[in-house]
Amino acid sequence: MRPNFFHHLHPPTIPARQARLRYTLAAGGLAVFLALVLLVTGLLEMFYYIPTPDQAAVSIQTLTFLVPYGGLVRNLHYWSAQFLVIVTLVHLLRVIFTGAYAPPRRFNYLLGMGLLVLAILLDFTGYVLRWDEGIRWALVTGTNLVRSIPLVGNPLYTILVGGTQPGPATLIRFYGWHILGLTLVAGILLVWHLFRVRRDGGIAVPPPALREDQVRITRYELLRREGVAMLLAATGLLLLSTFVAAPLAAPITASASTSEMARAPWFFLWVQQMLKLGNPFFWGGIVPLAVLVLISFIPYFFPQPAKGELGHWFPKGNRLAQAVALFILIAIIALTILALLPAA
Amino acid sequence: MRRSIFHAASITLLLSLLIAAWQESRHPQPIVLTPSLTGQAEYCLTCHSDLPQISNSHPVQTFGCVLCHGGERLALDANLAHSTLRGGRNPADFSVVQASCGGANCHSGTAESFNNHIQRATTSIQATYAGAIASIRYTFGAQPDLTGRLGIFAVQVPASTSGITALAAFDPAIETNPFVQAFGQNCLTCHLSAQPIQTGSRYDHFTGCSACHTPTQSGDLNSVNTGTATQVHKLTTAIAYSQCDTCHNRGNYDLRTMTFQPRADLPADQLHDYYQPIAQFTKCEYSLDCVDCHTRTEAMGDGSLYGSKKDIQYIQCKTCHGTSTELPQVKTLTDPNDLAFRLALLNPVVDLKLGDTLLFTAKGEPLWNTRLLPDGTYQLVGKVTGQVFPFKPVLGSGCTQNGVNQTSAYCHTCHSVQR
Repeated sequence: MRPNFFHHLHPPTIPARQARLRYTLAAGGLAVFLALVLLVTGLLEMFYYIPTPDQAAVSIQTLTFLVPYGGLVRNLHYWSAQFLVIVTLVHLLRVIFTGAYAPPRRFNYLLGMGLLVLAILLDFTGYVLRWDEGIRWALVTGTNLVRSIPLVGNPLYTILVGGTQPGPATLIRFYGWHILGLTLVAGILLVWHLFRVRRDGGIAVPPPALREDQVRITRYELLRREGVAMLLAATGLLLLSTFVAAPLAAPITASASTSEMARAPWFFLWVQQMLKLGNPFFWGGIVPLAVLVLISFIPYFFPQPAKGELGHWFPKGNRLAQAVALFILIAIIALTILALLPAA
Repeated sequence: MRRSIFHAASITLLLSLLIAAWQESRHPQPIVLTPSLTGQAEYCLTCHSDLPQISNSHPVQTFGCVLCHGGERLALDANLAHSTLRGGRNPADFSVVQASCGGANCHSGTAESFNNHIQRATTSIQATYAGAIASIRYTFGAQPDLTGRLGIFAVQVPASTSGITALAAFDPAIETNPFVQAFGQNCLTCHLSAQPIQTGSRYDHFTGCSACHTPTQSGDLNSVNTGTATQVHKLTTAIAYSQCDTCHNRGNYDLRTMTFQPRADLPADQLHDYYQPIAQFTKCEYSLDCVDCHTRTEAMGDGSLYGSKKDIQYIQCKTCHGTSTELPQVKTLTDPNDLAFRLALLNPVVDLKLGDTLLFTAKGEPLWNTRLLPDGTYQLVGKVTGQVFPFKPVLGSGCTQNGVNQTSAYCHTCHSVQR
């Protein structure tokens, strides 16, 4: 069989041990798949979405309830976005817990971190585009966080919001970032990330002399596996989107006060919980940024796994990085649970 | 990996596509309505097509649903669609009535007072409860006289025939007398903003305008007693006595304990349903509906604030029957814009014409459902029942009552009904 375009995206053969689901968790591949679903469903949504404050929520209601399969497309976009954040995090944890970021893959790790941040920013901007009562936290608390930054806070707020308070300029800016600014950068980084996977020698694996076995699978087999993973993921996504609707609320009203019930989107709940501790700039700005920087520096400043340990879960050489990642993961999950608990 | 796994995965995706298509086909076919007053499409009828039109004055093609009810006009999800309903099921609650029913072309804001129903209703004694509050506070020494000072909510009017231009909000928390406090806690349940305390019973009713204009009781005692009477999507000026009964005949307050004692009997006919056991009344008072005699300003106020029901309620037996020395006041309709025509249009139980002679009240309100007949007798058409009641004036009858002492209490002395 002559390799086609999709075969050519992959190396001719890859080591069998590292091609197994229990090693990759299929997270990276699923992230690419979800990104493609998001691109297609997002393009479809753009035919109906009207980015003005008085029309945004109404146009989403039109899409959801009146356009044939419009609700399904919107649900697919929503659920893909949520799972994209999850599988990207799973992919990151897999890379840390297998030590796969070791040189020469350090730079690609940073590209991956950039993609994670972009996924979260895209999720956040997309969430704001609903412009309904459900996004009050993002619109008020979220944007006000920017103001708390010393010196540059106010100018930055003006750049982000387009005025002294959220309004039409805010919505069109978030729209612009969502459909073009962030998406374009994410697309470029995604292709770069995939290119660097092959340029850096494919999936992380010990040098040939240190491998337990030399068994390899062909790209035909790899593509088939990826195909099965995508088919199953698409099935799950479709069923979920058929039966569980993406959240929707009444159009936002003029008053811009936040109620006690206003909640951040789930991926920012841990930040919202920390904000209750005090200084918004410290807990909402410095701490999340420190977490991001700490994780980004893992390949550069933490003990590395030995070459022979690559391609396996939990190598001894980078136990410190694993412990730090685990601690951060548990802390974020705990803060999220606290934020979800009803206020005492 | 075997090809069969790939094929199986393909089949699951195909099946899920079929399920998605099946689920999509189960959605109700949207029913669109674009009312002429808003020009904006609304889809409420997708689920609510079974509702009757609320009244002839509010055609659904003109008003639609959202103009009065609020709600999300495009949402086909019940929770979202109903999330912004004004006043929940009742857009005529006084907290939202201005947005729902108000406006210069609707029930507020016009120069002619007879169209400013919201202002009149919200300043009426049924809304302010100022009379009961004043009398209780006076009884227990919290105020020196019976003048209305406090209402359920603070309200003011630019001018008032009663001299009262403002009421402050009654706040039981700042009252010092324990009886007045208890009254505040237990007895503020029969004004137009109070939630009904006997929900689900025959005395259930809405708040605000709907308390009277949206019938919760059919008036058919059999159905109200068996609990089969249902609330309907209706606005009407043909208000049955049973609707008035949901507040005025549902039980009593015990002033010693300041508690409400609900009525326990299940009356079998209108005579036994009528008023509390101690009341004196005549035949027409239980065979007619309340609105057949009592006028719109008595029920809804005249735009002034009052401190007692007695100051606004003025219809007497003599309004229709006259006295032993005088005939009742009548007037012949000569103006095609006379209020009587407007009222008869809203509840067309009579066919009024220019030249008809009607009974008029002491304040000049038309009793538009009455008529002076050529033989000098009168007739009244029931606003709810459509039943014709012929009647005669007192003058020329055998009544020997002194013409000066002819308030209803005097009439009851001879003409009251025993049961």
